[in-house]
Amino acid sequence: MNLNKTVFSPRKIIKQLASLKLAVITISMIAILTAIGTFVEARYDATAAQKLVYQSIWMELVMGIFAINLTAVIVDRYPWKQRHLAFICAHVGILVVLFGQYLSNNYGLDGSVRVGVGESNNFAVIPGKIDLTVYSSFDGSSYTKLLAREVDFFLSPPTSNKPVIIPTDQGEIRLTEYQKYVVPSRKVVASDQVRAGAGLRFQMHNDKVNVVEWLVQRNPNHVATHDFGPAQIHLGPVPSEGSGKNEIYLFPDESLSGKIRYAVFKKENKLAALSGVVEEGGTVTPGWMGLELRILRYFPRAVETWELKPKDRPTPLTTGAVKVEFQKQEHWLLLNDTLKLFTEKAAYIVTYASRREDLGFPIKLDKFIMDRYQGTMRAASYRSQVTVPEVGAVEISMNEPLKYKGLTIYQASFEDSPQGEPVASVFSVNRDPGRVLKYLGSLIMTLGIILLFYFRKKAQVAKKNEVQG
Amino acid sequence: MRLLIAGMMVLTMGISLNWAAAEESPTKANSGSFLPGIWSAPVGEALRGLPVQDAGRIKPFDSFARELLEMIYGKTTLEGKPAYEVVLTWLLSPQAWQGKELFEVRNHEVLKGLGLDPERRYFKGEEIFSNERFSTLRQELQEKRESKEKLTPYFQSLGRLENQFYMFTEMASGRLLKLVPEAASAQGVAGSWVGVDRLEGETQAAFMVLSRKFIERIGVMAQKGSHEDLLRASEELDLAVKEFKRKARESSPNLYPSDGLADLEVHYNLFHPFRWSYIFYLLAAFLLLFVWITDKGRLMPGVWALFGIGFLLHIYGFGLRVYLAGRAPVSNMYETVVWVSFGSVLFAAILEMIYRFKFILLAGLCVGIFGMVVAGSAPAILDPSLQPLEPVLRSNYWLTIHVMTITISYAAFFLAMMLGDMALFYTIRGEEANREKLKALTLAIYRAKQIGVSFLAPGIILGGIWADYSWGRFWGWDPKETWALIVLLGYIAVLHGRMVGWIRDFGMAVSAVLTFSLVIMAWYGVNFVLGAGLHSYGFGAGGIEYVAAFVFLHFLFVVYTVLVRRARAQLQSQTKT
Repeated sequence: MNLNKTVFSPRKIIKQLASLKLAVITISMIAILTAIGTFVEARYDATAAQKLVYQSIWMELVMGIFAINLTAVIVDRYPWKQRHLAFICAHVGILVVLFGQYLSNNYGLDGSVRVGVGESNNFAVIPGKIDLTVYSSFDGSSYTKLLAREVDFFLSPPTSNKPVIIPTDQGEIRLTEYQKYVVPSRKVVASDQVRAGAGLRFQMHNDKVNVVEWLVQRNPNHVATHDFGPAQIHLGPVPSEGSGKNEIYLFPDESLSGKIRYAVFKKENKLAALSGVVEEGGTVTPGWMGLELRILRYFPRAVETWELKPKDRPTPLTTGAVKVEFQKQEHWLLLNDTLKLFTEKAAYIVTYASRREDLGFPIKLDKFIMDRYQGTMRAASYRSQVTVPEVGAVEISMNEPLKYKGLTIYQASFEDSPQGEPVASVFSVNRDPGRVLKYLGSLIMTLGIILLFYFRKKAQVAKKNEVQG
Repeated sequence: MRLLIAGMMVLTMGISLNWAAAEESPTKANSGSFLPGIWSAPVGEALRGLPVQDAGRIKPFDSFARELLEMIYGKTTLEGKPAYEVVLTWLLSPQAWQGKELFEVRNHEVLKGLGLDPERRYFKGEEIFSNERFSTLRQELQEKRESKEKLTPYFQSLGRLENQFYMFTEMASGRLLKLVPEAASAQGVAGSWVGVDRLEGETQAAFMVLSRKFIERIGVMAQKGSHEDLLRASEELDLAVKEFKRKARESSPNLYPSDGLADLEVHYNLFHPFRWSYIFYLLAAFLLLFVWITDKGRLMPGVWALFGIGFLLHIYGFGLRVYLAGRAPVSNMYETVVWVSFGSVLFAAILEMIYRFKFILLAGLCVGIFGMVVAGSAPAILDPSLQPLEPVLRSNYWLTIHVMTITISYAAFFLAMMLGDMALFYTIRGEEANREKLKALTLAIYRAKQIGVSFLAPGIILGGIWADYSWGRFWGWDPKETWALIVLLGYIAVLHGRMVGWIRDFGMAVSAVLTFSLVIMAWYGVNFVLGAGLHSYGFGAGGIEYVAAFVFLHFLFVVYTVLVRRARAQLQSQTKT
């Protein structure tokens, strides 16, 4: 008697854990938490909702209690009788589904693959995982990996008080700030980095065309090109022969202190038709189509940086950015972008990007087919004809995925050019170890609900017979 | 063609101005017998069935004109004149419309931005579009669009205004009215039909005849000509329409549709099966109320008969819509409202047949009437037009099943809410005096909730299977699916509470009313308030104030009942002591 009254009796603990009060509270908590999640998603985006609510510790806690509650309720009914069958099925079903979802979340793969028309790709981008990677080089050509680690700056951003520090031979690379939502625009500024190339802003115009653009060299030997169809403008070393097009080469010659050497090629002749020296504000008349080239701005050494406009909420144009400090200089590094840092002796590459996972085989997009509603540009359906090794040519369309090597490849969306022509197909690639359990659980649960009605009917009939008898 | 149209315009101006000034609808006055107006277009109105290519499908001119007038003027008739007549005169004599207050603007902020009187709702084209501020506002809209931020109601309203302007200009120029399939070699979007501005040869000539006959007919109507004159003009117009269709079909026999489908859609537009259906529900509800109050049980067959006619008309309307659209009618808010109304009356009828409480059917009819009236009276928010589906939703069998299953569960919960309202009403009237009624109501509420849960749970699972099948993920916390889950959790919590006796009869009524707010959030709120997630193909705007008032009034009703009950209990305990 006494033993049964102690708090530690397993039967009693299970009774407590199986209590309906706990069940109702947990159910309500799940409802409230997820409701908050939907509001977060409406105000921010799906990523914010995932990070702040659905994948948060609170959600895991409540789900954990829910699972314990369900288990306890089943154990509490032991020894099970036939009349418990419906009840047990319904609750076991939920448990199995929950476990399946747990497996999918923790051991599954959920990525997307973008393949341009006629191109192939064997990497899937995993949007939920972001890596910070640093490479170093002392000769400028071969790089070694210094660091690679998963970071979550959304939840734990670096600050100037708590920076992320990457030690290198040339001093620390420090990440000191993170911005969740910024709209970036490119900006070219003068630099004193020795390995920086030149930067130049030009205007090309006649009575029909007017183009204003920046050209920036990655390094003094790089050729930066702007192509506008009938002609090309290059910033970089002048070759001895042209490539048979209308081209202008602009070359920053250090001996000319702030002036630029130029050479004009015509498509008829491989040798330069015209050459000379021009400075900021000056013009070159190449002699094709009445075009005139004007040098608007010129930096002998220039780097491209980002100008960032912070926003309160995400839009399709915003991205995340992290501030990198190195050798007393500040740089902004955007998500899925690369930053190069130079010193006299070494070069470093820092990337902050979504993880890419090798599928182990390439997907080649042979053709993207889009059907439209008559007389409009609205898509009615779309499908991709792809080639995958060993499988050969197959078609992937909405609701008709390709299953290969344990992966399922779905038609997710597409990208189109400003003219509305599709240029790339986007697939979602997925491996779901919990799938079987989720279907099984659903089946058991549904069975439970059906049995519930069946047994109730039986009980009613029995009751009726008793009354009549 | 341009020149010819211009000539026609001059010819038309005088007449159509008269026509525009004539007050009463000539159609109603002269349409002759009642039946032809319902089953097919009456004499003189064959124009309604003329096939037009618009927004990705072929539709009758009647539907095209209704949607266009709705978009620009906010209604499907203008001063009693049918849309198809109004819209055709935009093409034939746009000048006649210059002085007319045709453009509906509802947003006060937009009106202030344009420097117009915010108390007015309809404006002349020149007041808005020749206004210098309009181009400033357009610029503003353009910048907002480029920033890719969500459009606020103000910008949505600006967007509509821009669209109104564009559509009117396109219609007036004839580019919008695409009447003939394009010959194979022509340029432009593939499969696009030719607008009347580019008609050539025989079809052009036939269209000119058609236009002239149309003008003659409205001329006769405006001058209140004799019945014989009107009949002759009408028959000539019908003949011209027929001739035009013949020429168009000859020019591309494979692409031009047969008359059947377009005529059927005209019938759907003119007949309004859903309106007739709720009229019969209303009659049934009144008779039922009478039966209930006077206790004349022998009139019940009459109630069932009226209900049955309404229900058959409801099914008939669905059937037409499914046939015309070639898909299940659950792809937008309008269609789900009609579907939920259907579910409510169906469940109510089944429960009524089992329990014979009378009020179950009454509650079902109330939900049905309420839903159908709302669906029929707010076309700006609940768009009744037939639109092509987004790619994800096409040719997917699971989609239809999961949406239908989930929304039908909302019907059961709606029914439970209405029964809950009744129970609260009887609670206020006196719990002791209405003990029997309240017991019966509680049972009905319980059943309705059970029906709802047993449709919602499989519906959510089916949604998961569908998502897994097409996107490769069973569950992704998308707001629509999350809110469906929240509804399920809410009702499951209530049913569990009932099982252990926490929730008694009064609690069942209160929870039936309160938990329905979760359904409103899942059904309406996600699409119209949150506006986020993968189910974006059903998103819309408007009506928030009414829905919020609906929810708020129900909360007040619950609070009031609780207070009344508490006061009564206090009074009782005082009299005892």
